[in-house]
Amino acid sequence: MDKADKEKTGEYEEHVRSAKYSVPESWSSPDTTPIGLLEEVKKEGRVWEELAEEYGVANPNPPWKTSLFATMEALSGCSGGLSTYDRRASEDELAETVYQDVPYPERELLALAHTMLRRGLVNEEELAQRMKQVEERLNSA
Amino acid sequence: MTKRSHHAEIATGKGDPQCFSNTTSAPSKFKVGDKVRIKELPDIFYTRTQVYTRGAVGEVAVVTHESPAPEDESWDNTDHSEWFYIVRFRQKDLWPEYPDCYANDTLQTEFSERWLEAVK
Amino acid sequence: MSDHDHSHGHRPPAPMVEEISDFEILEIAVRELAIEKGLFSADDHRRFTEFAESIGPLPAARLVARAWLDPEFKKRALEDGVKASLEVGVNWLDPTGFGTPSDYTDLRVLEDTPTVKHVVVCTLCSCYPRPILGHSPEWYRTPNYRRRVVRWPRQVLSEFGLQLPPEIDVRVEDSNQKCRFMVLPMRPAGTEGWTEDQLAEIVTRDCMIGVALPHPDRKVDDKRPVHPAVNPVHH
Repeated sequence: MDKADKEKTGEYEEHVRSAKYSVPESWSSPDTTPIGLLEEVKKEGRVWEELAEEYGVANPNPPWKTSLFATMEALSGCSGGLSTYDRRASEDELAETVYQDVPYPERELLALAHTMLRRGLVNEEELAQRMKQVEERLNSA
Repeated sequence: MTKRSHHAEIATGKGDPQCFSNTTSAPSKFKVGDKVRIKELPDIFYTRTQVYTRGAVGEVAVVTHESPAPEDESWDNTDHSEWFYIVRFRQKDLWPEYPDCYANDTLQTEFSERWLEAVK
Repeated sequence: MSDHDHSHGHRPPAPMVEEISDFEILEIAVRELAIEKGLFSADDHRRFTEFAESIGPLPAARLVARAWLDPEFKKRALEDGVKASLEVGVNWLDPTGFGTPSDYTDLRVLEDTPTVKHVVVCTLCSCYPRPILGHSPEWYRTPNYRRRVVRWPRQVLSEFGLQLPPEIDVRVEDSNQKCRFMVLPMRPAGTEGWTEDQLAEIVTRDCMIGVALPHPDRKVDDKRPVHPAVNPVHH
């Protein structure tokens, strides 16, 4: 990379850093340490892109997308929930780190779960348990 | 009463920010066309004033509405409202390398009154 | 009832995804736990789901088409976007009676002129006028778009295929508070005598974000693949 490109990159990165949020260094950054349960989902879960192609489904969106939207909206409207601003700030951070290679909207879902776990709105054990129950329920239907 | 049910009570049928109309203690300090500078206020916790605007000088393009400032609202503190303004900047004044041949390009964004100071 | 034409009424069933992904399970689990913990009610969730399923860009397209044809309506739309939205069937107070927590209720319509082209972004989080324009596209939500369009708008617009001459000023609207914005682009040549329906068809979502201009031959936005950043930011 020549000097001109290096300067452009440096300038770009500096701008990008400063445009990121408007929160100071002292503000605690969202914790992007991977979470075991979610790493499993990330690894084993089949994304809609793949599923839709395999089954020849034209709909670009998974059936749970609107439900996810509703969960995010409902959470931001309640006390002790998760405001849209906070959720999106975390999502931005997580999208560039832990969930970088996950397509949207799976990435959005993982980021939401991650943020809720880190904030103690749910805990990993109960989420894992509930996932098992849901899976049994759906597979026996 | 929870924050949520209180908000529902004051805003139903009106909307947000409309529910905060006529709640400021003073009329708007600035009007369309006023030249303003974005203050370099310390970020105590939370703000929606972009870093790239701090210290920049622009012109008030629109006086939008009254609302609690996001710095207060994020803590559920909605007792105090401020006027909000869309301020327009020349891109050349925001970014040092912005090309001169596009001297009239602008960017506008919104601020609560606490962030603005008059420029003579 | 004809029995000689089997093609009528005998459509093969639409393909369906037959398996349940872990993502689907995760979404359900998160939602159920949130409801059980009282973070929100099942009723709230249902209401927001119905809302999510109901929104799309057509009302905004109609607002633009009508503004092109009716100068009095255009005046109303520029003066009070929320009130004008009602005329195209959108009530910004839905579905709660006071709007959604993310979209608020202050829509502003930005009128392009022969010398000013608007483009909308939300650098902080991707705020978007969903009640009238539907769900935001993925590219709008990426840091790649949000961080670059404020500083290099013409370069970003050219990536969308929009080259603007220097006589046209570019005005970026960074939507960072409660106001929400949509662009009212200029009416293109070649649409003389068109009805409101015909005009609405060529006002695509990207035209109302500001990254495309309406064209008499285009009814669908170009595909915008999202690429990983060429120079990704490292923390």
